[in-house]
Amino acid sequence: MYDLILFLVLLLLGYVFGQRAEKRHFKSIIEREQTLRDILVFSERRIPDEDQLEGILVSGNVVISVDFFKRFVASLRNLVGGRVSSYESLLERARREAILRMKDAARRKGATAVWNLRLETASIYKGAQNAVGAVEVVAYGTAVRQRR
Amino acid sequence: MAEYENPQIPEGINVSPTHPLKDFALLVGGISALILVAVLALSLLAGQLARHVPFEQERALAGSLSRWLPETPAQPAHRERQQYLQQLADRLATAMDLPPEMTLTVHYSASNTVNALATLGGHIVVFQGLIDTLPSENALAMVMAHEIAHIRHRHPIVAMGRGFAVMFALSSLAGIGDGAMQQWLTGVGMLPILSFSRSQEEQADADALQAMLRTYSHVGDAAAFFEHIARQQTTGEPLAIFSTHPGHEERIERIRQFAQSQATQAAPTSVPLPDFMKSE
Repeated sequence: MYDLILFLVLLLLGYVFGQRAEKRHFKSIIEREQTLRDILVFSERRIPDEDQLEGILVSGNVVISVDFFKRFVASLRNLVGGRVSSYESLLERARREAILRMKDAARRKGATAVWNLRLETASIYKGAQNAVGAVEVVAYGTAVRQRR
Repeated sequence: MAEYENPQIPEGINVSPTHPLKDFALLVGGISALILVAVLALSLLAGQLARHVPFEQERALAGSLSRWLPETPAQPAHRERQQYLQQLADRLATAMDLPPEMTLTVHYSASNTVNALATLGGHIVVFQGLIDTLPSENALAMVMAHEIAHIRHRHPIVAMGRGFAVMFALSSLAGIGDGAMQQWLTGVGMLPILSFSRSQEEQADADALQAMLRTYSHVGDAAAFFEHIARQQTTGEPLAIFSTHPGHEERIERIRQFAQSQATQAAPTSVPLPDFMKSE
């Protein structure tokens, strides 16, 4: 019985704090995306007019933890299949945050655009039982600025 | 660089538009229902199969349990009590038309636990603690007839069959998912077993009342044990669905109704318990 109560408390905590953190994070992401809109990002590998530009490697990474609620819903979803919507929002947050951090790094280098954008994800605690997992997203690319 | 641009991406295109709680409720509800139905079907099936195990086999199986049952008492006073209980059980068995191959073995325990139980192979254990709370032989006969009814209906072996089937099913399910989910799966899976033994208890009560009527021609004092328990347990009775036995109030009420429907005598007289049955 106590196990059940503890479990429900954990679920409630996970839901309340997880949802609050997610809402705040999305708000901050949308704001910062507006301020960094002038840094353009492309996945194109060939940089146009590259002889007049100089390239610098920039990267940004983020690690976001899964909350207890999301994890439980996802483990149920594992049984029946379908879209794991609780992880979809988690990964979107992580991707956008990583790109923002990369853009921020590019701005500090005085660049105006980032080419050849690459994204990589990794799951931390992969395979570890009973541990709340976390996801890492790394964004990296070639920032370019006018050759001095 | 005019041909390259970063358009504004609309919000929410990468996330399924479902509320997390709705998702949660659908998943928990759906999967719980599925597991309940599967476990229910499995335990019913196992119970049906277990019923067909010959009583001989059941007794042989119970042989391995014998070290767990109380031993034959050494004290002559205790032995006298056991003999009395065995005679009472045999009398009740005749009244209940127990099939000849079903033999009852009554064990007496001097422990002050307020309980009596029936288990595999026709073994019945009666504790001194129970005898001390009862006002008459009729009250004791009611409890014993209840246990005999369990054996007559093969409840111990059915319960064991169900228990094993459900345990195997749940432990094979437990390989899926993490700790929290396993706990939840097991909890959901145990619910039908509990409520099934409840219907068995009701069946045993009904049979015991018939046996009382045949042996003593009235059902006076039949509710004595439950009334005693109800007095002891004024607070903290568990929710009816979670407990194996029907609620005491419910049982007393049912016995009272039966007594009224069978009322032939104005004041039924109870047979007193022999003096040697009460603990010193």
